[in-house]
Amino acid sequence: MKKLLTAIALTLSCGLAPAHAANIQNIDLGKAAQVWFAEDHTVPVIAFNISLPAGSAYDPAGKAGLAAFAGGMMDEGAGGLDSKAFHEALANRAISFSARAERDYLVISISTLKENAPEAMHLLQMALTHPRFDNDALTRVRTQIIQSLQQDQVEPQRVASRGFAREFFGGHAYAHPTTGEISSISSITPQDLRNFARSHWVKNGLKVAVAGDISPSALTKLLAETFLPVSGAAAPSLPNVGRLGSPGVHVIPLPVPQPTAVFGLPGIMRQDPDFIPGYVANYVLGGGGFSARLMQEVREKRGLTYGISTSLTAYNKAAVMQGSVATRANAVRQTVQVVKETLAKFAAEGPTQQELDDAKTYLTGSFPLAFASNGGTAAQLGTFQRQNLDIGYVARRNSLIQAVTLADVKRVSKRLFDPAKLTVVIGGSPAESGRPAPQVPKPPVRPNPAPLPETAANPPAAGVTPPSTPVDKPVTGPVTAPQAAKKP
Amino acid sequence: MCALPAAAQQDTAANRAKLSQPAPANPRQTGNNTFQFALTNGMQVLVIPDHRAPVATQMVWFRVGAVDDPPGISGLAHFFEHMMFRGTKQVPDDGFSLMIAKNGGETNAFTNHDYTAFYEQIAKDRLPLAMKLEADRLANLDLSDSHVGPERDVVLEERRMRVENEPQALMGEQMRAALHLSHPYGRPVIGWSEEVRRIDRVSAQDFYDHHYAPNNAILVVAGDVTPDEVRKMAQDAYGKVAARELQPRAEFTEPPRMAETRMTITRSDARVPIFNRIYRVPSYAQGRPGQAEGLETYAQWLGGDQTSILYHVLVEQKKLATDAGANYDGDVRDAGEFSVYAVPRPGVSLETLEKAVDQVLSVSALALPRDNDLNRAKTQLVASVTYRRDSQFALASAYGQALTIGLTVDDVNEWPARIRAVNAEAVRKAAQNLSRKEAVTAYLVPGGGK
Repeated sequence: MKKLLTAIALTLSCGLAPAHAANIQNIDLGKAAQVWFAEDHTVPVIAFNISLPAGSAYDPAGKAGLAAFAGGMMDEGAGGLDSKAFHEALANRAISFSARAERDYLVISISTLKENAPEAMHLLQMALTHPRFDNDALTRVRTQIIQSLQQDQVEPQRVASRGFAREFFGGHAYAHPTTGEISSISSITPQDLRNFARSHWVKNGLKVAVAGDISPSALTKLLAETFLPVSGAAAPSLPNVGRLGSPGVHVIPLPVPQPTAVFGLPGIMRQDPDFIPGYVANYVLGGGGFSARLMQEVREKRGLTYGISTSLTAYNKAAVMQGSVATRANAVRQTVQVVKETLAKFAAEGPTQQELDDAKTYLTGSFPLAFASNGGTAAQLGTFQRQNLDIGYVARRNSLIQAVTLADVKRVSKRLFDPAKLTVVIGGSPAESGRPAPQVPKPPVRPNPAPLPETAANPPAAGVTPPSTPVDKPVTGPVTAPQAAKKP
Repeated sequence: MCALPAAAQQDTAANRAKLSQPAPANPRQTGNNTFQFALTNGMQVLVIPDHRAPVATQMVWFRVGAVDDPPGISGLAHFFEHMMFRGTKQVPDDGFSLMIAKNGGETNAFTNHDYTAFYEQIAKDRLPLAMKLEADRLANLDLSDSHVGPERDVVLEERRMRVENEPQALMGEQMRAALHLSHPYGRPVIGWSEEVRRIDRVSAQDFYDHHYAPNNAILVVAGDVTPDEVRKMAQDAYGKVAARELQPRAEFTEPPRMAETRMTITRSDARVPIFNRIYRVPSYAQGRPGQAEGLETYAQWLGGDQTSILYHVLVEQKKLATDAGANYDGDVRDAGEFSVYAVPRPGVSLETLEKAVDQVLSVSALALPRDNDLNRAKTQLVASVTYRRDSQFALASAYGQALTIGLTVDDVNEWPARIRAVNAEAVRKAAQNLSRKEAVTAYLVPGGGK
């Protein structure tokens, strides 16, 4: 122990600044758009992370899933290229192109070999300005979405996440599933898609993050050409959210061996000075692998789950502290109870000084890992852009975390982790030994769960996307998944 | 390659001292940007410098996996991987993960049939610490009953999450059990739940004693390091761990299959039908030169993405399917797998869909692929290697996996050239060699009963 402890004492000293931080520069594309660029010539690859104000919160009433559907059609034909020709144009040059709707933004991820960057951007331009929405492709994609929504109806994690959003966000545009409902997807017409693309795929509010093997001048020219013909119409705005949360336990019954509980509380907005202390608090409570309080209590001490984690997410109009845990049917009640007790204790006492110090060394020390690849760098910069941060934030970020005091975290923990306000949605049927399911204030929501996977912000994988074939993957563990590239 | 000479296998103090004395051989450049050497205790080391960010990825790959699970205790290798995070005398309980985290690092591990790998991604100046911690748990793991019990429950929850809640995963498990008549590739890596329940401290300790040793490990370091730095660090950390006598790996054969196996799995938790077929085929380790590359290219051409033949014919042309694809997994020590799948449009039967798939397969065994389609498939495979260079983790994984399953650094480095050399005839040959006798075909059908 002694030797190892010495080593640690020595390494605790500094919080490294990412090497790329110094190299991140603004590319001027006019007032409407924001472009950040990290130049690196090590690998002949360029990664783009492009955000448009075209997320699911802009779905019109009755058309839930329109933004995601439109995004899914982005590589299904444009200009003179039908769907097959468009796919081939990408594949012939091994350009990886995907669009994913989040709540506020449509995020387009493109990876290309350096020599194919002009073609990649040309195809993006066509997709943005002359989408075809051909009937054949549209019918196919619609059927794919509906099948995936059908399967989601029996996936406890999806059912619980969708149920949680519905309960937590109430009547707001964040309440409906990003991927829509079977009925709304069925009702979307080609005209709906065309209208949505015209009004939301605009360069007002456009955010572009680029990393990799290109010179600033070449990139400036390329992007200027790419976005020149893109509509300059005003970006649409979103309504504010009302009251958040629907305290209590809501059960959506499903015949599965392992129900999932999604739980959450009102979060902290990104521009609130308490966001960073809140982020640190969340890391100690539920954000940090084995060290987190919830992981210790629920998994390590009791073996109740494979993984439990919480995250603090700020959307443009609302913020949420949200967590998720899956456990066997007869342990759901116990698990939810342990979660609540852990929250209550943390709200009352906050972290220890040691926990806070450890959190700071992790959060600052792991920051450079997000910048170890072009794909990672572009994804991380894109995340910062979508949070409306300035380009200097990258260099400033670690010192903000260093400045957090124990008093800050205790204050914010009290504000954040109030178990009495906790909204819990269970996808699955808890089976407690002879005891009724824990339906606290309300009866079960709907017997027929409405769908939705919440678009968890997964970083774009560089390279060619593998097919969704049911192939056996290595069993990972012991932690649920490597941390996403999303660091605030 | 992995076992030491008999004389060196005695784990005595004298041997330990002797083994850790001499300095390791100098790093030898074995590719454009790869350097190799070995420690005197038999640990192999591969270094891949990448100086873009002041971080490094360390992976330790062990030549042990689910194929080495003792009979009746499937899942032990994977369970044991979890136990490696449960503490040593010097770093008890979750100390390993906590120390990595408080030093700004990420750590995790994964288990497959052929191998188990552990990794850390961490600031370059903390790499010596990560190595010391890895070396510590390689030599001094402290298995206690109080940890075994809860961890077994954790793994059972993991199995519920990954498999029992996922009809597609259950289908895959059933198909592999049928495909590999007696080879342990037929057992799920995570284990059958009844057998996972049998795992205890004694079986875990036994597994550790016989498989976890530096002479059974390959260290891969990618990142902001030089080969000489790594040599010194690795010698300081791992050089002190004595080689151990290994339990020889059982060599399994694949008995001949006399007929295709077919199954229909009806599940109330399946809402969308799926057709799936897995063929047993040669792997990179087994195949004749070029054979695996032919299968790889065939899979990409046949069903690698939306521009593939299978997708075009089934989804776009005949409109029988909403999705269709093919995949080759040849990165294994024994038999590889070639699979095809398709998801029917509503109203299309799985029988109709299967016929259409078989028609495409038959045509591909007769006609040569068109040049531009073949070139596109090859372009994508070759480009995937350039994209891989963007990620320390992907790069380190590619080499670690190859070395663990018995391939060489040259095999990894020459792969793009070998793919470029695949011609239309080789693709047709791969198609011709697929045999239904060597396959399991499954229908997943939504239905009432479980």
